[in-house]
Amino acid sequence: MMRLFVLCLGLFTTLTCVLPVPEAAAQQAEETVCIQCHAGLEGSLGAPVQAWRGSVHDRNGISCHDCHGGDPTDFAMAMSPERGFVGVPEHAEIPEFCGKCHVGVLEDYQKSAHGQALEAGGAQCVTCHNSHAVEVAKLDLINRDSCTRCHDYGRAEKIKEILADTDARIKSLEGELERLSELGTNVDEQQGQLFSLRNRFHRAFHTVKIERIREQTGPVLEGLDKLREEIAAVESDLGQRKFWGSVAIALLVVAGILFFLIRRTYEEEEKP
Amino acid sequence: MSPLKALIDFFDVRLGVREIYQRELAGYLLPRRVNIWYTLGSVVLTLFIVQILTGILLLIYYVPDAEKAFQSVQYITDDVAFGWLFRMLHAVGANVIIIALLLHMLSVLFMAAYKGRRELTWLSGFILFNLALILCLTGYLLPWSQLSFWATTVATDVPGAIPVVGDLLVEFLRGGETVNNLTLGRFFALHVVGLPLVLLALIGFHLFCVKRRGISTPPFGEEYQQEELLPFFEHEEHPGGTPFFPNYVVKDAAVICFFLAFMLAIVFYAPGLFFPPSAFEPADPFVTPPGIKPEWYFLWAYQTLKIFPSEIIGLGVQIIFMTFLALLPFIDRGAERRPAKRPIFLTCFVLGILLFVGISIWGHYS
Amino acid sequence: MEQDLMAPKQRRKFLQILAGGVGVLLAAAAGWPLLRFLAPPGGGDASDQVTINRGEVAPGSVHMFQYRGRPAVVLQPSPGEFVALSAVCTHLGCIVQWQEEEDLFLCPCHAGRFAADGTVISGPPPEALETLPVTLEGDQILVG
Repeated sequence: MMRLFVLCLGLFTTLTCVLPVPEAAAQQAEETVCIQCHAGLEGSLGAPVQAWRGSVHDRNGISCHDCHGGDPTDFAMAMSPERGFVGVPEHAEIPEFCGKCHVGVLEDYQKSAHGQALEAGGAQCVTCHNSHAVEVAKLDLINRDSCTRCHDYGRAEKIKEILADTDARIKSLEGELERLSELGTNVDEQQGQLFSLRNRFHRAFHTVKIERIREQTGPVLEGLDKLREEIAAVESDLGQRKFWGSVAIALLVVAGILFFLIRRTYEEEEKP
Repeated sequence: MSPLKALIDFFDVRLGVREIYQRELAGYLLPRRVNIWYTLGSVVLTLFIVQILTGILLLIYYVPDAEKAFQSVQYITDDVAFGWLFRMLHAVGANVIIIALLLHMLSVLFMAAYKGRRELTWLSGFILFNLALILCLTGYLLPWSQLSFWATTVATDVPGAIPVVGDLLVEFLRGGETVNNLTLGRFFALHVVGLPLVLLALIGFHLFCVKRRGISTPPFGEEYQQEELLPFFEHEEHPGGTPFFPNYVVKDAAVICFFLAFMLAIVFYAPGLFFPPSAFEPADPFVTPPGIKPEWYFLWAYQTLKIFPSEIIGLGVQIIFMTFLALLPFIDRGAERRPAKRPIFLTCFVLGILLFVGISIWGHYS
Repeated sequence: MEQDLMAPKQRRKFLQILAGGVGVLLAAAAGWPLLRFLAPPGGGDASDQVTINRGEVAPGSVHMFQYRGRPAVVLQPSPGEFVALSAVCTHLGCIVQWQEEEDLFLCPCHAGRFAADGTVISGPPPEALETLPVTLEGDQILVG
């Protein structure tokens, strides 16, 4: 019996070491031809790929062709104007380039002092947001080093002050909604509302006009208040559930203890 | 005559219910020193009933189609009154039942209750444990979330390591080359009807074996005497023992209450315990979320596959281990049941638990 | 429970009554959710309904209003035909704007474009704008 067992084990081990290792078939999204080529290039031709990786565009499935055009599946037509390829935009072409998607921001930017100064070399999207390594807009993009490249910090500082409070409130609500969604509560609608309010708020900044920003902040704050109320209602619901759940748990524990005590009464009778 | 007595008389005259009561409940005598671990059987049975009941309730609103499944589960959780409660009870219950099954199995191993001509009870119990695991696996896919889809992809990849028939097996399991709507269809049929029918039949057989052979005596204490096995069938009697009803039924009831309280505690105080973020995103066959892992009760298998250089060795090791456990009563033929007098067994037992826990933790962090 | 000097039988009776009481409470705690779960869902809230004067919706233009606390829009694509849609973009939740010259809805956040019936024309939105039930009663448009 033992010898048979050892023989089988030996045979099995030999066979399994000789046989090939099958690959676990993992389904992954295919890379565009843009990335396949440019990832291996040097200098300014390859750097954008690394910069784009991990960016907010990358995380949301926005790739090279979404902005630059061209065919992402065909090497031959990847950079063909026939397939919409527009190449690298010039300084003054950048707002309309980004504005293909960011329609609202473009509108506000074009009306602003920055927009008016565009042809003269004024600030455009990439000036503050970078190209490729783009991140979700945050308040600290407005800072002394960045803004004083062209003018003094006075108005920018004031604007930042006005934005700070609302920005903090938006962040706190984002955190609360994130926490709720991790618990499994469906807050998709509320997260959508908050996103809409945040975008309205961010877009207004691009006018760089204090009165205009204040004008837009009002409705945003109202929306935030309404959201806060809705979140409070959800949390109150969850609190109620927890309360009644605790009651049920307590009842079960009491029942268990009572049953144990009843058992004890039987045990006493069982003893000879 | 009281109405209750009249009612009982009605059934007694037709079916002899008093005699059944006397034989199966009040007169069914168990050993006097049965310990708390003996209650786990009824705990597991109760938890299965909870799963079946909550499962039927979920069936009312669930739609087994890849386009609609996720949304139907969302409807249950967000819109149906108390839908969240029954969904959580079912999901958390699945995990608690595995805990209870493991404890039940461990106590049977420790007290060598598989000895003394109880091989069939052990075998049916072991198969039941595996069935429970497959029920968990098939159920996992049904919400059609990112977690469901990708955990099932990883799990159904495993048979692919088997030479020659591996790929065919995987396609058979999935109803295609990749996890798709056909996979959902067969997993749904298995989870809702196929496996529960087999499960119920086996539970019936398991309980029949337990009753027929008789409850084993706990192998502890000075009064313990090894049972003498004669060459014919014998039901292990416990004369002067303790009646099952009501004496041990209340003990079962107590432990069941505590297990249910434990389950509710998870539902209300740690609802995210078995729900990583990918459980709330609809399945996307083109995007694999990072760090997809099987549930905690499969981590040992997952990590074992990763340890060995070849998948077929990893799979083989697991099959050998499971076969060994299944056939344990045929391998451990000694009559000794007291743990203190079984040093080899005890060593393997402790090592086994440590290995299981260790490899599972490793699997969680790897 | 403190050490009872009662005989086991008496203590047991007392405990059984207590356990029975707890059992009734637990049955209620389980029964109520079960009943509510199985009960058919209540009919749509009549109070949700919004009434809009027909004259406010000129052919070719839209009228924005609030429906169930969210922005919505009603339009008259052809004379006598009214369509009500949720104005919440299905991409990430921004509010879409009607572009009169182009006869479509444009979302200012990521340029999602929807036709007058709510279907997606271009951009990131994954599905059409939600349609809201509309009935015409004389000069009043009832939404919801």
